[in-house]
Formats: sequence, C-alpha cells, structure tokens
Amino acid sequence: MSQIELRGNFHEELNIVSDTIVTLAAHVTEAIPRATEALINNDLELAQEVISHDDELDLLSLQIEERCYALIALQQPMAIDMRSIVTAMKINGEYERSGDLAVNICKGVRRIYGISLSPTLRGLVTSMGEEAVRLTRVSVDAYAEGSEGLAAALPDMDDRLDDLQADFIQEIFAAHSRGELKLEETVQLALVARFYERIGDHAVNIGDRVMYMVTGESTESAGAARARAAQEGDEAE
Amino acid sequence: MVRLLPSKERLSKGSRVSAEELAADVAVDAVASEQTAPTDAIIDDDMPESDLVFNVSDLSVYYGDFRAVRDVNMAIRPKEITALIGPSGCGKSTVLRSFNRMNDLIPTARVEGTLLYRGVDLYDERVDPVEVRRRIGMVFQKPNPFPKSIYDNVAYGPRVAGQKKGLDDVVESSLKKAALWDEVKDRLNESAIGMSGGQQQRLSIARAIAGDPEVLLMDEPCSALDPIATARIEELMAELKDEYTILIVTHNMQQAARVSDRTAFYSVEVDEKSDRRTGILVEYTNTEKLFSNPDDERTENYITGRFG
Repeated sequence: MSQIELRGNFHEELNIVSDTIVTLAAHVTEAIPRATEALINNDLELAQEVISHDDELDLLSLQIEERCYALIALQQPMAIDMRSIVTAMKINGEYERSGDLAVNICKGVRRIYGISLSPTLRGLVTSMGEEAVRLTRVSVDAYAEGSEGLAAALPDMDDRLDDLQADFIQEIFAAHSRGELKLEETVQLALVARFYERIGDHAVNIGDRVMYMVTGESTESAGAARARAAQEGDEAE
Repeated sequence: MVRLLPSKERLSKGSRVSAEELAADVAVDAVASEQTAPTDAIIDDDMPESDLVFNVSDLSVYYGDFRAVRDVNMAIRPKEITALIGPSGCGKSTVLRSFNRMNDLIPTARVEGTLLYRGVDLYDERVDPVEVRRRIGMVFQKPNPFPKSIYDNVAYGPRVAGQKKGLDDVVESSLKKAALWDEVKDRLNESAIGMSGGQQQRLSIARAIAGDPEVLLMDEPCSALDPIATARIEELMAELKDEYTILIVTHNMQQAARVSDRTAFYSVEVDEKSDRRTGILVEYTNTEKLFSNPDDERTENYITGRFG
C-alpha cells in the first residue's frame, strides 16, 4: 500500500519541536565546558558570559513548551506522536535545568574567586566536566536517533560521574583538614561537585524518557517499585 | 467450551429455536463438552471463554464471490464498549452487521468461520435471526424514527413481540435509560419526526433498549450529529455500559479513544494482481494501549495520519 502523508503540517511541527530540543541541548553541552574552564582558570568574564547566555536557553525552552501545548490542543496526537510530544516536554525541562546547573557552577566561580586548586582537584574537576558533557551529548544523541541502546547506556556512564564526585568531595575535605581550603571554599566546591553530578542525573532522566518515547514503556524507579509492591501487599491482605 | 448445537430432542422436532433457548441448553451442557469450539480467538487476559459475549473465530464475510473481510478473530467481553475503527472499505461495518445477522438481508452475503454468541453459533441454521436481533439490538448512522408518536416508537418492538401489558413501564424505563425521558415525558404522543437529530438518535437507542437486548451494535451513531449531541450520546454510552455490551463502528478516532474499553483496528489489503480489496483485522487490544503504543506499524501509521 502506498504511503500518503496525511498530516504533513503536523508532523513538520513535530520535527521543529525535536530540532529545537536538539538546539537547546547543544547550547547546554557548550555551556558545561565553558563553566569548567571558568572554574579552573578563575575566569570571571567567561563565568558571566555563561550566566548571561542562559536567558536565551530559558527562552528556547519556553518556546518548546508552548509549541507542545499548542500541538496537544490542536492536533490530538496519538501513539508515537503523543509519546514524542510528551517526551519533548519532559526532557525540555531536564535540559533547561542542566543549563541552570552550568550557571550555578559559574556563580560558584564568583564566590570562590581567587583560590587556586591543587593539580588533583583540577584533574577531578576536568574529569567531572568531561563526563557531564559526555552524558548530556549521549542523551541528546539517544533522543535525536530514537536509540534505545544509547539511552540504556546512560545509567552506567552516570556511575562514573558519581564516583568522580565522591573522590572530589573526599579530596576537598582532606585539603580543608590540611588547611589548604577555607570552610566556605570547601562548601562552595562541594556544591559545584554536586552541580556536575546533577547534570548527569538529568541525562539519565532524559534516557528514561527516550526509552518511553521509543518503546512506550515507562521506566519504574526503585522507589516507585517499592511503593507499588507495598500497595499490592496491602491489597492482598 | 460449549456445545454448538441444540439438544437431539429439539433437533428431531425440526423446529427453530431461539438463541436464548440455545443459550439455556448450552449452560446445561457446558461442562460436558470440552472439545468443540475453536480457541484461537484473541483473548489477551484470563476471562474464561464461557463468560465472553461473542467469540469470533476465522470469520470471513463474502458478498457473492467478493470476500469483504477475512479471518477475523475477536473476543467480546460483557459490559464493555468495543470500538471498530479503520479506513473506508476495511470491513468494520460488515463485521458489525454480522454480529446480529443484518448481512442476511443482503441476498448474496454469506459468512465463513464461527461467530459464537454466548457459546451459540449465530449462523447455525436452527437459530432464529429475529430472536438474534432482539437480543442484539442495533442503532444506525442516521436516526430513523418511525413516523409515529414518541411513545409508539419505543413501544414498537415490544408490541411486535406480542407484549400488551406494562408498555407504559417499558417506554418510561427505556426513555430514562436513553437519557431522553425528562425532555419528552410531557409530549409522548407527539410525533418523533419533530425531535432534534440528537434526540432522534437517543430515541433510536431507547427503541433498541425496549426490546430488552443484551448487546447494542452502533454503526457510526454520531456521524450525523453536532458535537454537543455527540457528547450526550457518548455520555449515554458510558451509562449504558453498566447494563449492556456495546460495539461501535466509528470514523472518529477520538471518539473511539474516548468511549471504548477495547479497540479493533481494521485495514484494507489489496491484491496487487486482481486489485481486489479485502478487510483484515490488524490489531485488537485495550484502547489505551492501541492509541498510546500500538504493536503493529500499520495501526501506528493509521492513527498518526501517516497513511491514507
């Protein structure tokens, strides 16, 4: 049977949504190494650029959201179309938050201006930044390609970032006890490490959403699984 | 598993038996006969076959040499709404009409395969089609009130069936169930022709209900109605589901999604050589599943408008 596209305009609109998501993700992917660079080089100007540029990301994110609302209201999307729109709306928020976290790192740069990081800490920050970028990039590749495989790889990749964060925090506590870092600096650096770690978590969430888009199955978190088991136990009684 | 034929005693009399009587036989004999009925119908959870309202196995419907629809397998559960959707010519209305033998009225039409209603083969020659249509009522695309009073429209079926007493009660309860009573109770003797389209369609539903059916077949019941009248009928269907099993053919996918528990997607298969078109059942599953994550790519393409 010949394939005749019946809802060309609608599907064109859907493509615009996913293209815009990819654009947003690309901006975020660029913001992260810039934040890392600002942190390592004590570069306040660069930090300010990242902070200012985030307004554009927020606008992009708002536009994606509004376009999705319009498509739902006007087109009654079904099946893959419905799943694509829901996924776009969900991951839109995840990328927007990751962009905010890059901003938060840059604000941390301002607060600890002037400190010099030990080579070990620099190395760990660089690695955390690289992992956060890699996770974000793989998440957007998974989305753009509709790839279950790439989405499934994200949780394992995120474990590495989590380990780096743990190492980093251990290292700053040690530096603090050696008197190399003040308490405020130690706290700020711990927060910065947490910001990188959160970027990884958002990428993992995006992977879950891509899984849903591709397979139609929602990922059940460990907590949700426990609550479901508890509820089913109650019902059985 | 049920016995498909009436008892020997009845066979020897050579009389026609109603589906109801057959069903009564079946209930008695159900335990004894485990070997007969086909089991390859689509049953996606654990309802025992004896509880199904319809069980369709390898059903094909022909008009003369032309096979309109082929190899349909469907199990219909009690007190659910099942929607049949698909492009024109996919055989969905043909299948719907076969559920109460309306195709009998077309001289060249015939069916192959089995269509069990409560375990009874509807196309068994001993089954009385008039009784079938009483048990399995139908509502058509266009409201078709008789040029009679509202009361006489609803009382028509029971009267034809020979009922003389208690007609007032039947009319009242049928109109109430059809959510029409409050609008017409003061003008029951006025002509039904003066009613609005939506009211006429609800009158058609009341008329079908008056015969005390178990099943209502609806063939695009809202296609001639405005959105408000359509919404009323959809609300009504949700209420009627408490008492009746409903099958609906609709061209409106959103309607199928809104009202039904299960949806069957039919499509058209074209034979390249002969250019013959045959309807097929592509996918039959829970409505939520079908519209959010269908298994078959042909379903996906149809409901997302990627093919026409």
